[in-house]
Amino acid sequence: MFDDNEIISTIEMVKNENLDVRAVTLGVNLFDCISHDLQVFKKNIRAKITNHAQNLVETCDAVGEKYGIKVVNKRISISPIALVGACFSSDQMVEIAHELDDIARQVHIDFIGGFSALVEKGIAVGDQALIDALPRALAQTQRVCASVNVATTRSGINMDAVLAMAKTIKKAALLTADEDGLACAKLCVFSNIPQDMPFMAGAYLGVGVADAVINVGVSGPGVVKKAIERNIERNQGEQTDPTLGSIAETIKKTACKVTRVGELIGREVAKNLEIKFGVVDLSLAPTPTVGDSIGEIFQALGLTNIGVPGSTAALAMLNDAVKKGGAFASSHVGGLSGAFIPVSEDLNIANAADKGFLSLEKLESMTCVCSVGLDMVPIPGDITVECLAGIIADEMAIGMINSKTTATRLIPVPGKKAGDRVYFGGLLGEARIMNVPNHTLCDQFVKYGGRIPAPIHSMKN
Amino acid sequence: MNKFIITVLGKDRPGIISLVSNILYKLGCNLENANQMILQEQFAGFFIVGSPPDISLETLSQTIKSKTENTGLTIHINAVEDNENSESNTRGETFLITTIGPDQKGLVARFSKIIALHKVNIENLKAVFKGGKDPNANIMSYQVFITPDIDTAQLFNALRQKAEELDLDIRIQHKNIFDAINKI
Repeated sequence: MFDDNEIISTIEMVKNENLDVRAVTLGVNLFDCISHDLQVFKKNIRAKITNHAQNLVETCDAVGEKYGIKVVNKRISISPIALVGACFSSDQMVEIAHELDDIARQVHIDFIGGFSALVEKGIAVGDQALIDALPRALAQTQRVCASVNVATTRSGINMDAVLAMAKTIKKAALLTADEDGLACAKLCVFSNIPQDMPFMAGAYLGVGVADAVINVGVSGPGVVKKAIERNIERNQGEQTDPTLGSIAETIKKTACKVTRVGELIGREVAKNLEIKFGVVDLSLAPTPTVGDSIGEIFQALGLTNIGVPGSTAALAMLNDAVKKGGAFASSHVGGLSGAFIPVSEDLNIANAADKGFLSLEKLESMTCVCSVGLDMVPIPGDITVECLAGIIADEMAIGMINSKTTATRLIPVPGKKAGDRVYFGGLLGEARIMNVPNHTLCDQFVKYGGRIPAPIHSMKN
Repeated sequence: MNKFIITVLGKDRPGIISLVSNILYKLGCNLENANQMILQEQFAGFFIVGSPPDISLETLSQTIKSKTENTGLTIHINAVEDNENSESNTRGETFLITTIGPDQKGLVARFSKIIALHKVNIENLKAVFKGGKDPNANIMSYQVFITPDIDTAQLFNALRQKAEELDLDIRIQHKNIFDAINKI
């Protein structure tokens, strides 16, 4: 039998601290579906995905029920469509997006990721077709997520692709102007994209992994926040001051527990579906719910709000402690495994931006020390393509130089300016549009194109 | 070898285990399994012992009772059927059923009745109190062993329905989740 504390702490984590498995993502390799005939290709991908995914949702629900831990989202990631559909035109790519959207609906999942291209070193025919198709594909579907990797530490930054993505984002926003540019919430631009990430919108199945694989995304910002608060209260009770070292230790231990929950559930789902288990991605990902926020962790750490001086240091400590806890808990940690700071998806972060504590520049500096980057940031709709490309290039450079993943998920909201409210709904949340200084500049830099060379430390052979 | 279970009850104080174990040792008995708990200063101990063939239940009972007279301890001794080779009920899974909410009379009676009606064995029952005066600090935890022939959906639904009637929060979780979180 378990002792009182073991029972209480487990119940508390689930009942009051929003511990859940944020996503079980089934990766499906589509390379054996390739055909030059679009109808055959569509038939092949439908057969393969539905074959693997037909019991995904009910299996996740059954395993979640068994352990009393909810599997919130069930998703699918697929091989990059720009590779497996390289022979198709942009119009045909849009058709493929519709097919994927319908497949996702058929197997009752909320998102399917992998409408993607990897163009860090150059844009091939299939990549170009996919990039051209992106605005229509994302505007006309609900469940398809897209990502384009434009930079890596080993290849440098493809600035032609950066500019192309800035134009693509603007077009996608315009096509969904009546929904505040919602299409852009399903599109990530990456540097060093991981090939086994279970979280959307950037999930895709890499070319070096198995035919089908289950990856699990665990979250738990509420659990981490409560653990920090308990640590501080305990020290106050003993009339001692907690040190940041002891707080980091608490975060690490908590992350370890949360990761073990994810691995337990992921492995059982994989076993029941007779599919290989891939990785656990312990990323502190928020929802727009009070008590399930990354921003609240900053307040638990003694900062007025996320964004004030000290925030980058706090985030560095948080991100590192999460990684260490995750790595101790599981030998198969992958994806991003760190902390996300998506603005509109986190009520507390959105409020911090609203009150002026958090600026775009501070967000960018914080992305140097955490997962992802400028995530779910609504910006003025009249931002120039050049300025948007400049912001993307800056974020890619942080990833390239620091050998880490960075990304942007920026939403230039048509017809709206800094301070206006936008509402995306559901997990995507709501926020006020952030001010982008000098957003109407048309500087030449990004228009030179070509590639920014890989940094010297990429030569590791 | 004969096998017996000895239960010892009484007000807790230093030396109870020493007293019992030394009597058994002098009789040549082997202590195979032991467990104890203290509930509100009351000691409860359980000992499973193997004895030499010449020691009967009667001999063991008389010896122990004579040596524990005037100690205030209540001692029961029963013979145990050795079922080492039995394979019944070895397949199954352990779940923890936890109810959270204000204490009320008949709580355990009502839930254990449902569990028994479904032919499920309660392996352990625990009242967990978080402290303070919060009614939600009352937690009852039933560790149950569910064999493959049990209709778990029906059992869990019945338990959830009862919890709703009694205005209690109920959690039913496989024990592995507690292991994953607490035992590293």
